[in-house]
Amino acid sequence: MKSGLMFVKLVNPCSGEGTIYLFNMCLQQLFEIKVFKEKHHSWFINQSVQSGGLLHFATPIDPLFLLLHYLRKADKEGKFQPLDQVVVDDMFPNCILLLKLPELEKLLQHVTEEKGIVREIDKKKYYKYSKEKTIKWLEKKVNQTVAALKTNNVNVSARVQATAFFSGDQASSDKEEDYICYAHGLVSDYIPRELSDDLCKYLKLPEPSASLPNPPSKKVKLSDEPVEAKEDYTKFNRKDWKTEKKNNKMTAAQKALAKVDKSGMKSIDSFFAAKNKKKT
Amino acid sequence: MESGDEAAVEKCRIHLRPGTLRDAPPATLHLLPCEVLVSRPAPVGRFFTPAIRQGPDGLEVSFRGRKLRGEEVVVPPGLVGYVMEDQGEVVVGKGSSEGSSNDNEQEQEAPERDFDRFIGATARFSGFTLWGLETIPGPDAKVRGALTWPSLAAAIHAQVPED
Amino acid sequence: MDLRELDRDSTGLCRLNSPVPAVCRKEPCILGVDEAGRGPVLGPMVYAICYCPLSRLADLEALKVADSKTLSESERDRLFVKMQEDGDFVGWALDVLSPNLISTSMLGRVKYNLNSLSHDTATGLVQFALDQGVKVAQVFVDTVGLPDTYQKRLQQRFPGIEVTVKAKADALYPVVSAASICAKVARDQAVKNWHFVEKLQDLDADYGSGYPNDPKTKAWLRKHVEPVFGFPQFVRFSWRTAQSILEKEAEGVMWEDSLTGDQEGPGRITSYFSEGARVRPRLPHRYFQERGLESATTL
Repeated sequence: MKSGLMFVKLVNPCSGEGTIYLFNMCLQQLFEIKVFKEKHHSWFINQSVQSGGLLHFATPIDPLFLLLHYLRKADKEGKFQPLDQVVVDDMFPNCILLLKLPELEKLLQHVTEEKGIVREIDKKKYYKYSKEKTIKWLEKKVNQTVAALKTNNVNVSARVQATAFFSGDQASSDKEEDYICYAHGLVSDYIPRELSDDLCKYLKLPEPSASLPNPPSKKVKLSDEPVEAKEDYTKFNRKDWKTEKKNNKMTAAQKALAKVDKSGMKSIDSFFAAKNKKKT
Repeated sequence: MESGDEAAVEKCRIHLRPGTLRDAPPATLHLLPCEVLVSRPAPVGRFFTPAIRQGPDGLEVSFRGRKLRGEEVVVPPGLVGYVMEDQGEVVVGKGSSEGSSNDNEQEQEAPERDFDRFIGATARFSGFTLWGLETIPGPDAKVRGALTWPSLAAAIHAQVPED
Repeated sequence: MDLRELDRDSTGLCRLNSPVPAVCRKEPCILGVDEAGRGPVLGPMVYAICYCPLSRLADLEALKVADSKTLSESERDRLFVKMQEDGDFVGWALDVLSPNLISTSMLGRVKYNLNSLSHDTATGLVQFALDQGVKVAQVFVDTVGLPDTYQKRLQQRFPGIEVTVKAKADALYPVVSAASICAKVARDQAVKNWHFVEKLQDLDADYGSGYPNDPKTKAWLRKHVEPVFGFPQFVRFSWRTAQSILEKEAEGVMWEDSLTGDQEGPGRITSYFSEGARVRPRLPHRYFQERGLESATTL
């Protein structure tokens, strides 16, 4: 049995590490999974306790960020190539699922030069990474992120601690450059370091000290009210599939493993369930 | 999702049973300000729920002799919370057939895919009670910040306007 | 004694009091303070005050009040009824401190020890009498902790009142004996009719004296450990006896202020990045760090 919904591991375009993504093959949509993780939390879920207190968020991600990873890699050969030769990965073979997403041709226009005429016989388009186009595309990403940061009242000021004591509208006093820096930082979480640096120069931002670890920001000023998403979520609602959040159920055994010597044990972080309901 | 080998190829797919999302019954959730070191059944309805009081500044209860103060948190509009549970490995040839009718990626790979797994939703929720140790978590609680992520994510990942 | 309010909510503090005899608002009064149920690991602690005009002290003595510990339960009950009957010159008030209140105070981030809790409760009751218009002239208190410090503190708090703090005051001063009877009657009644906040079936009431060194009490505690929740709120979680049983027989629970060997500090933002020796190539953007969010690498 297969459903249209599956979690797979793909390469994270920022870290290069394997990271969980969710495909909805029915709606042809890709989601990233962020996990809320803070020390000292547990869930009570009905009549059970769940260690860890994790909360997962599945939110739609622009697949172009993931494709960009492969396009840049393929660009080392310096030639136009069909997408199915670009998106290949020995480590994460599920990357081929990306090819099933809709409107890829339209997406790829933002970051590639393409050739399709020459080899029309096999109806393949050939693509080549374009740094210039990519930077322009990323600039647009930064701009729309800036707009959202403002509507969502995110405190982008570098002077977090100094402003934490002001209650009302310090957001309005934040400088435009702070917003752009912040948005650049957020977008940089989806692209490799090199590209992030190029984008930084292109946007004429100061040296990215923002990418240094841990600004002194214990107090976070958040918007008072959850802001309605501008995006129309109803389109995810079809077939009862909504943007999905979930609790990670871990096995008691898994918890125990944290204290146990892991060598020789298979798959420490495989799965959640307290009890495996194996159905046949 | 990882295999024991260092450089394992990540082929595994974890299929989410769609029927379980449709049928997930509502659940009551509390997020506690402590780590209980195990996951197991617990008589929440007998020990915890009846002890919750509406105090002057919010909810009050105690757990293990410590005072907790809490407040209700709602899942942001457009989202649904699900409690997920591992439902085991694929049993080749014996898989149930639920929800597979609209599958456009049929089982031509079946023999290779016996490393796949399934999860399903066991419950859904539209909010939970967030508890702080002795103080109300309030608007600065990290998890409240986390709940604003979907609306920002939507903006970052929206398609850019054409030139 | 009407402890119905305690039945409605046995998780906090419950105050009971007699009407103030009219004469106590006119004449200088003597007031005694004593407590019951300080030591047990089970049930509430009760603080009581009892007062009468100095001019009627002989009438109070005539009731033959004595240290509650030297009296049988029925004698205490009878004396308490007598004091009620003498409501034209004897008044009382008491605070029932639920075991939950004791636990959460003593186990708080800022530890509130039993002595401070006791002192503050006693002080609160004296103030309550004053607020009700009782003309308190002398206060006699059975000591908790060092009598000298306690006396100094109380004297400072109530400069117009002559304060005497003494060990065994409950045996020495009839007005303190009367207070000890009030406290003991309330505590016994509260324990006997304890309204468990939990929905528990087949709970056995055979818990002995409730004192930690009573084998029956210990056996009862062991029998009623719930692996996740520990004990019903009838138990004082802050008692060492209770805690050591939990350590052995219940699941571990870590709080942000729990003392452990491997703790780097409370609520560290970066702590989970340093798990294991693995160093991340780049930390997530501060937006995510401030919200405890990271990309999921496992499910």
